Amino acid sequence: MQIQLDNLVPVPLRDKILQRSSEIWNRPVTFTPGSFTKIKAPSGTGKTTLVHYLYHIRTDYTGQVLVNSKPWGTYSKDAIAGMRQEQVSVIFQDLRIFEQLTALENIELKRVMNAQPYCSAEKVKEMAARLNVTHVLNQSGRTLSYGERQRVAIIRALVQPFQWLIMDEPFSHLDEDNANRAAQLIGEECKARKAGFILTDLDNDTRFAYDSHYNL
Amino acid sequence: MPSFYQLLKKIIQTGIGRSRLIMAAGGLGIAMILLLIAIQAHTDFDQLLHNQRNANESADFLVINKKITNAMMGQNAKSEFTPAEITDLQKQPFTEAFGFITSNQYKVTAAAPGDLHFYTDMFFESVPDSFIDVKNEEWKWTPSDNTIPIILPNDFLNLYNFGFALSQGLPQVSQETIKALPMKVTISQGLMTQEFTGRIVGFSDRITSFLVPNSFMDWANSKFGSGQAASPSRVIIKTKDPSNPVLAKYLEDKGYTTNQDKIKYSKTKLIVQTIVSVIGFFGLILLVFALLVFSMFIQLVIASCKKEIQLLVTLGTAPRQLQRYLMRQFVPLYITIGIAALLLVAALQWWASAKLAEHDMFIAQWLAVGTACAALLVLVLVYIVNRVNVRKYINAIS
Repeated sequence: MQIQLDNLVPVPLRDKILQRSSEIWNRPVTFTPGSFTKIKAPSGTGKTTLVHYLYHIRTDYTGQVLVNSKPWGTYSKDAIAGMRQEQVSVIFQDLRIFEQLTALENIELKRVMNAQPYCSAEKVKEMAARLNVTHVLNQSGRTLSYGERQRVAIIRALVQPFQWLIMDEPFSHLDEDNANRAAQLIGEECKARKAGFILTDLDNDTRFAYDSHYNL
Repeated sequence: MPSFYQLLKKIIQTGIGRSRLIMAAGGLGIAMILLLIAIQAHTDFDQLLHNQRNANESADFLVINKKITNAMMGQNAKSEFTPAEITDLQKQPFTEAFGFITSNQYKVTAAAPGDLHFYTDMFFESVPDSFIDVKNEEWKWTPSDNTIPIILPNDFLNLYNFGFALSQGLPQVSQETIKALPMKVTISQGLMTQEFTGRIVGFSDRITSFLVPNSFMDWANSKFGSGQAASPSRVIIKTKDPSNPVLAKYLEDKGYTTNQDKIKYSKTKLIVQTIVSVIGFFGLILLVFALLVFSMFIQLVIASCKKEIQLLVTLGTAPRQLQRYLMRQFVPLYITIGIAALLLVAALQWWASAKLAEHDMFIAQWLAVGTACAALLVLVLVYIVNRVNVRKYINAIS
């Protein structure tokens, strides 16, 4: 699955973006499949907006996001759902956990959404243990702290098959130790799938061996 | 571990529109019962008519003639059927078989044997043998026979026995006595006369006329008659259902009459059909409203879970998966309603059958196949309409 940007400009940020130079906005960009990509973005430059465009949950832009050389808009709803189950996974900045489900149910929901689950229930337990959230698995989503929610969201993103993992400040609520554990797990899972990721964050970091860097 | 649908159940709460769902389900149930009753009642009434009146035969015979009005009096030709009218009658859907009633074109007199001093002018008619309800070995005639078999109407004998004989102080006679009496029958035209022995061989309930075999009538008409085939003024038809309103209307429109007693059920049938149609119509209207309420319920459920559904779609749930999940919530309800309605109507049918049997009216104890098919059809319709609705509302927000 190839992701390309073609002179992408968000309509709400248009004036601001056209006044300065960016390595992403308003130019052609090709993300090489399997590469670890870091996009560094100060606040207010449209970082979350970009993630939403890449994952196709917002479309208020000019230019195009091309998936396998075709714009997102040309795919049917069921085809997009299929890609979100098989080819592209996401960790949102606002985490998006179902509060009426427990932590484990949130992960299970994503795991059994595919008719043939990619990983086993034991694998989920194992990942939870590695991220130190085993003790909250049966807790309601409503009562989880942000740090716990973030780790649940990371595991949820890793239970499906994917070629691209899109992450929006995935360690923002984690302490250094937990962030490193999470990064290590994400790195391993991407390698296991021969998948690439696109990670946006505020600052520089050395948690991954990035293949490419962009400034938004 | 819970399945995907079990997890969806925790996210998409269908409890919110409970009152609406109950209304829709109730409406669907009542609509279904009305529709099924209408269809079942229609079948039952048909069955009732058939059983009651034609216990042994599946068809009935009607003798049809034109109504004699004051304007027609004295002009016998006006009561005859024209060839066009006959063809028209023959091709009506209710006409299963058609026959002419042929009249004599010569004079007939009959005299009782011995010293009974009975002498009368009379007439003969003939119909094809297949229309006669008297099956008799003696019912045949060839030119070499001097004896003519005759069938009398039962009504005629009754008129004589209970009307004429009693009031005139004459002896009543039995069918057997009459059959044993040979009559002297003389047919003539101008100077030609010929004498025969007439023998009564049976009594007909079906045709009110003095019947002789067709072969005799043809022979006598050609020998004594004008030689031209006269247009018939009475015809006989065989029909499956004399209570068919179409038949009654046809006769009335054309100004024909027949034994009104035989078609009297057509009025009853018309009334029953009207009532049944009205019930069915209300059933249909109610069904439409039930579908509307269902659609409102679906809209409410989806609108109330809009955020959750959007997040599910964001996480990769296919709209198709959501549709299937929602339909799974509703389908068992339809099937339950359908089965409940069928059971209720079946119970009604069983009860009605028992009640009617007390009055010697017999209808099936079980539901008609058509009724069950109708129930299935309604369920399929509800399913399709709801599926379309679910798809529409899911697509609108995803």
